[in-house]
Amino acid sequence: MRYVKLPQENFEEFFNSLKKWGKVYAPVKKGNIYSFQHVEKPSEIAFDYTRTMLPPKKFFVRPKDEMLRLKGGRWEESNGVEPIVLFGVHSCDIHGLEILDKVYLAEPVDPYYKKRRENSIIIGMSCMPDEYCFCKSLGTDFAMHGFDLFLHELPDGWLVRVGSVKGHEIAWENEELFEELTEEDMKNFREFEEKRANSFKKHLNKEGLEDMLDLAYNSPVWKKYEKICLGCGNCNMVCPTCRCYEVCDLWMNAYEAVRVRRYDSCFMESHGLVAGGHNFRPTRLDRFRHRYYCKSYFDPSAGFNCIGCGRCDEFCPAKIEHVKVLDEVREGLQ
Amino acid sequence: MTFQTYEARILEVKELTSREKLFTLRFVDPELNRSFKYKPGQFVIVDIRGFGEFPISLCSTPTREGYFQLCVRRVGRMTKYMHKLKEGDVVGIRGPYGNGFPMEKMEGSTLVLVAGGLGMAPLRSVLWYALDTGKYEEIYLFYGTKAYEDILFRDEIIHLLKHGEDMNCHVKLAYEVETPSCIYLEKGYSPRVCKGVVTDLFRGETFDVENTYALICGPPVMYKYVIKELLDRKLSPGRIYMTLERRMRCGVGKCGHCIVGTSTSIKYVCKDGPVFTYWDALSTRGLI
Ligand SMILES: Cc1cc2nc3c(=O)[nH]c(=O)nc-3n(C[C@H](O)[C@H](O)[C@H](O)COP(=O)(O)OP(=O)(O)OC[C@H]3O[C@@H](n4cnc5c(N)ncnc54)[C@H](O)[C@@H]3O)c2cc1C
Ligand code: SF4
Ligand code: SF4
Ligand code: FES
Repeated sequence: MRYVKLPQENFEEFFNSLKKWGKVYAPVKKGNIYSFQHVEKPSEIAFDYTRTMLPPKKFFVRPKDEMLRLKGGRWEESNGVEPIVLFGVHSCDIHGLEILDKVYLAEPVDPYYKKRRENSIIIGMSCMPDEYCFCKSLGTDFAMHGFDLFLHELPDGWLVRVGSVKGHEIAWENEELFEELTEEDMKNFREFEEKRANSFKKHLNKEGLEDMLDLAYNSPVWKKYEKICLGCGNCNMVCPTCRCYEVCDLWMNAYEAVRVRRYDSCFMESHGLVAGGHNFRPTRLDRFRHRYYCKSYFDPSAGFNCIGCGRCDEFCPAKIEHVKVLDEVREGLQ
Repeated sequence: MTFQTYEARILEVKELTSREKLFTLRFVDPELNRSFKYKPGQFVIVDIRGFGEFPISLCSTPTREGYFQLCVRRVGRMTKYMHKLKEGDVVGIRGPYGNGFPMEKMEGSTLVLVAGGLGMAPLRSVLWYALDTGKYEEIYLFYGTKAYEDILFRDEIIHLLKHGEDMNCHVKLAYEVETPSCIYLEKGYSPRVCKGVVTDLFRGETFDVENTYALICGPPVMYKYVIKELLDRKLSPGRIYMTLERRMRCGVGKCGHCIVGTSTSIKYVCKDGPVFTYWDALSTRGLI
């Protein structure tokens, strides 16, 4: 890893230089909600944002996405990828993208996802947790890879970690904007990280979580939450690692159709429905439990399917708390 | 491209029952036709362009090249459209997908095929593969069907009832609805044809458990009962193969619809399956 310092007075110039790499998207405040939006100048960016409603996944797996276009009875690839720079991505979301990579870049590679990933630059940014965050428990509070540059806040600028060849290229082109790190900077960096590590209010006990959950298949806790949960699927829509999609063909006019995919949610009754009306997850209990199993599945090469971003808690209209559910299930077993 | 489908022309449409039709297809591109290889138990995604896609098992055998067959039951929107297609029409195909049955591993063994209803479709591929290659000790087919009119591949089944023994192929058929045709069939082939459900066909049967594999396909309710019969006869869970169905969209492990299991074991039916052993079912909840 290469480490350099970006002094605050050079930030604007650095930011402007990013535009040549692609359209820049960064967190922007809209009402009480943050979202990644196209930005032209640093003053539009919400540097102290907690989490966006939709995670950066929306740039790679779009809520609604055209795959193929039918012309003269034949499918043609829908193309057109614009190079983008995602500025200000938090560590947990970087981990989220890596979990998506495991799925979409596995053979057979998803061509849409791959093209967009290749045409994007990820610039990470440090953050302070709020009451919903539990990324520290999952080890996703720090990103070691999966970014091109990572900016850590310092009192007078940014400590920049260069994480990829593209990151090096960007740093190279802006060489005059960067400085070498001083002892002072490193001390500040360490202090920030320590303060951050001590600011987490929520903790997930992940010790033996997979087995514990599996054993608790018939736990009454699931039944309790079946009644509280509205089955709205919000938690799926905002989750950086949820990726179920549905596909349908739509006619644009008498001659042209498109094949479109859009986010699906395992809370929808149709998710497990097959021909003849047979449903593999007929009740809300089945669907609620399924989501927790999917999120808590542990893949030795990719970790859990949850990064602890707290989105599902913040945006659940029934105020269901992910960690609390898991804790209750664990307690129920003892 | 991953989701691109390739044109295949319908060579023949055959009405198997009032609900099921057998489509014989061939890729329009001769090169693709030559390179298209599959295993019994695999499936393809059929693309009716502008209407949508759906998964269907290959019911023909890879031992007969130059064409492939799909047995489609009319149950809803897409399959209804498929049933309207005629000889010469073109559909899109992508695949083959899934793991298929381990035909090579089972060589030299006895195969017990247990089919319920539409489950006959993928097992027909196994059946004809086994008969064509002649590499299997003995083949049993236990087939449970609603009524005489619902017997899929009826001509082939009756042919095997008549002549199967010469090929070490023993066919047994259970029907639920008594009609004159069934009674007539029962008269000719009793006790191999009888009234009842598929598990009734196990009565009096024993297997050489060291040298037998069971392959099951049928409606979700069937698995539990059939597996019990097999375990009662001391067949090892590792010798029990079953092919499963789930809602499928992508067929390649992306869309998430076919995910089953819990925090300790998650499987994609489309790519880890659709063929699983009973061991898999014991370690992955919700598989059956
Ligand atoms: C591995 C596999 C092999 C199969 N093999 C066969 C076969 O050999 N013969 C046969 O007749 N049927 C088979 N099926 C079932 C077949 O895919 C469904 O009957 C078909 O998709 C129903 O579509 P529909 O639009 O006519 O029905 P509808 O009930 O109208 O379906 C409504 C929607 O649900 C979707 N849908 C319904 N069932 C399924 C499903 N199982 N998977 C994915 N999407 C579904 C349809 O695409 C449609 O968009 C198989 C399914 C799987 C998963
Ligand atoms: S389950 Fe909740 S906390 Fe975990 S990644 Fe998804 S939205 Fe974030
Ligand atoms: S967001 Fe909350 S209420 Fe809606 S489906 Fe998820 S857990 Fe249930
Ligand atoms: S069918 Fe899409 S993941 Fe299996």
